[in-house]
Amino acid sequence: MWCWVKKLSTLAAILLLAFFVSACNKGDASGKVKIEFFQNKPEAKGSFDKLISQFNQEHPGIEVTQVNPPEAETVLLTRVVKNDVPDIVGLGATDTYSILAQSGIFTDLANTELPRTIDPIYLKMLKDVTGVDPVYGIPYAANANGVMYNKTLFKEMGLRVPKTWDELIATAQKIKAAGKIPFYFTYKDDWQTNLPFNALGPNLVGIDFFLQRRENQVTFQDKYREVAEKQLELLKYGHGDNFGKNYADGNRAFANGQGLMYIQGSWAISEIRKANPKVELGFFPLPTGNDEKAVKLVSGIDTLLAVSESTPHKKEAEEFIAFLLKPENSKQYITEQTLFSAVKGVTQDDPSVAELLPYFKSGRVVDFADHYIPKAVQLNSIVQAFLQNRDIDAYLAKLDREWDKVANRR
Amino acid sequence: MNKRLTTFYWMTVPAVLLFFVFLTLPALQGFYYSLTNWNGFGHQYHFVGFKNYINLFQDDNVGNAYWFTFKFAIVVTIATNILSLLIALGLNAKIRFRNFFRGIYFLPNILSVLIVGYIFNYLFSNVFTIWGQNLGITSLSTNILGSEQLAWVGVVIVAVWQGIAFNTILYLAGLQTIPTSLYEASNLDGAGKWREFWSITFPLIAPFFTINMVLAMKNSLMVFDQIVALTNGGPGRATQSISHLIYTGGFKGGEFAYQSANSVIYFIVIAIISILQLRFLQRREMDN
Repeated sequence: MWCWVKKLSTLAAILLLAFFVSACNKGDASGKVKIEFFQNKPEAKGSFDKLISQFNQEHPGIEVTQVNPPEAETVLLTRVVKNDVPDIVGLGATDTYSILAQSGIFTDLANTELPRTIDPIYLKMLKDVTGVDPVYGIPYAANANGVMYNKTLFKEMGLRVPKTWDELIATAQKIKAAGKIPFYFTYKDDWQTNLPFNALGPNLVGIDFFLQRRENQVTFQDKYREVAEKQLELLKYGHGDNFGKNYADGNRAFANGQGLMYIQGSWAISEIRKANPKVELGFFPLPTGNDEKAVKLVSGIDTLLAVSESTPHKKEAEEFIAFLLKPENSKQYITEQTLFSAVKGVTQDDPSVAELLPYFKSGRVVDFADHYIPKAVQLNSIVQAFLQNRDIDAYLAKLDREWDKVANRR
Repeated sequence: MNKRLTTFYWMTVPAVLLFFVFLTLPALQGFYYSLTNWNGFGHQYHFVGFKNYINLFQDDNVGNAYWFTFKFAIVVTIATNILSLLIALGLNAKIRFRNFFRGIYFLPNILSVLIVGYIFNYLFSNVFTIWGQNLGITSLSTNILGSEQLAWVGVVIVAVWQGIAFNTILYLAGLQTIPTSLYEASNLDGAGKWREFWSITFPLIAPFFTINMVLAMKNSLMVFDQIVALTNGGPGRATQSISHLIYTGGFKGGEFAYQSANSVIYFIVIAIISILQLRFLQRREMDN
C-alpha cells in the first residue's frame, strides 16, 4: 500500500511542476502584445509569413503569429465551440463565415477607418452573403471563376476568345472535330462540378434568387432548368474520363497542353505554373448567354479579415489589418497569389488575368452561387450525381428537397 | 482486504474511471445534444425533443448511407475471410520462404489507411486506366472510382487488400493451435485434404473464425478513412458511409445535433449486430 502512496505523490509533484511551468509561460516576459492570425489558405502561408515578419519588425510592441492548419474551416468551428476564437481570422466569404458572423463572434468594424479603403462592391457582397448590416469582416482579396485557356494552342488552331454561349459551343465543336480536348474536366472531385454551376447560376438567374429562396418565394425547379441544361451541354466536350480525374490531375494535364480550355478559378494558376512554368495562360469569364454585354465575371471574396469580439487586443488587431490593407502590401500579396485586391486602386498586372480587369473596373462582377447555399445541403455532391445520371427533373427536385430539409432542421 | 485484491482494485478502478470519462460521458453528452438543434458553435440552442430522430427517418441521404455501408460491410467481411483463410492455410504449410511470405502479407496492415488510399487513388486514375487503354479493355480504361455504379467495388478492393493482413495473422495463430497428431491420425484413416479441412481444421479454428467475422464486420461498418482517401463519398453520394455522413454533415455542414442523433442510432445498430453475430457464431462453435 505504501508504495502506491509514494508513487501517487510523485505523480502529484510532477503535475504541480507542469502547472507552474505552464503558468510561467503565460506570464509574458517580453511585454509584447501577442496576436494570433488564423487563416484558411495553405497556398497563402508563405505570402502572409513575409508580411507578418515585416509588421513585427515595424511594431516592436506587437507580435503577430500565423496559424494555418489543414481543414482550417473545421478547426475554426471547433475552436469557436471551445470559446477560443483567434484574435484575427482570415477566411473566404462562404456559408461558414455567414454562420459565424450571425452568431456574433466577430467585432463590428463599420466605425473604424478600415472599410473606407475597400471597394464598396465587396462590402455589399459581404452584406448580401450574411444578410446582416454590421461590417464583421474586411474584404482583402478576391478571386475569379471562369475559363482558362491555353494561349499557344489557341493560336495554333486560329481560335478567338468566345464572347457568347453559341461562340463557346462553336469553339468547343471545332476543337473536338480536330481530335483535341475542348474542356479538361476534373469531376472526380465533387467541388469541381460546381464551378460551371457557380458561373451559370448568378448570370442566368441572379443572386436575388437565393435571397428569395430563403423566404420560400421561388424554387430551383422554376428557375434552374437552363443552368442544368447548359451544364450538361458542356459535358459533351470533355475527355474520355471526366469523372476519373481530380483537381491535381487536371492542373498537371492542362499545364502540359492536354485540353485547350479549363473551367477553373484563378486560384489554380500558381498550381498550373508549378507543373509547367512556361505555359501561356489566358482567362475569360464563362459566356453564359448570347448577350455579350450581359456576361458578368464570377468573383468572390477569397479572404476577408475579421477581429474576434472577445479579444482584449482589438486596437492592435486593427493596426495589423490596416498594415495588410496598405496598397504596397496588398499589391505584394495579390501578385504572389494571382488574386485581385479589394483595396481601392490596387491592380493585378499578371498577363494571364489581363482579360478580366475590365470586368473589375466596370463592376461587372457577381458572387459565387454556392456562397449562398447552406453547407448542409452539400451542393457539390448533388451536382456531381446529376452530371452522372443526367436526370434534370430529379436534380432540381433534389435541390429543393435538400434545401427545405436543411431549413426545417435549423 | 487482502493485499492481492487491493492490487487488482488499483488496476480496475482507474480503468473504469478513464473509460467513463473518455467514452461513456461523451456518449451521454452526444445523446443530450441529439435532443437539441445546436449547430456546434453558436452560443444558444433549443430543445427540440425527438425532432432530429423523426427527420432522420425521412432523410434519404441517411437511408442511402446505410444501404451502402451494409452492402460494403457484407461483401468485405466475406471476401476478407475467405481470402485470408486461404492465405493462412498456404502460409501454414511447409513451403519455402515461409517467413518471408508471412512478412509480405502482413505489410498492408502496417501502412496507414490514408496513405494506402491515396496510393490506390493514384493507381485507379492514372495507372490502371492506361493499362486498360493499352490492352483495349473499355471497362478498365476509365477510372472506376468515378463511376456511380462501380465506385464501391474500388473501395471494396482496397479495404479487402488491407483487411486481409490482420485476419490472416489471426487465422495463422489459430492454425498453429491444432496438434499435428490429429492430422497424422486422419492420414492413417486415409482422409483426403478436403475432408481434413472440413472435419479437423475448420472446426478447430472456429473461435478464430468467429472473432474474425465480428472484427471484419465491425471494422467495415465503421469504414471512414478509405472513403476519404478514395472517393470522398462520391460520385454524388454513391460511396458515402454512415460515419462519413456523420462527419461531413456534423462538422462541415454545421448540423452537429442532427448528426449526433444519427450516431446514437448508428451505435445501437452496431451493438446489436455485434451481439447477434457473437451469439450465433458461438453457438455454432458449441455444436462442433
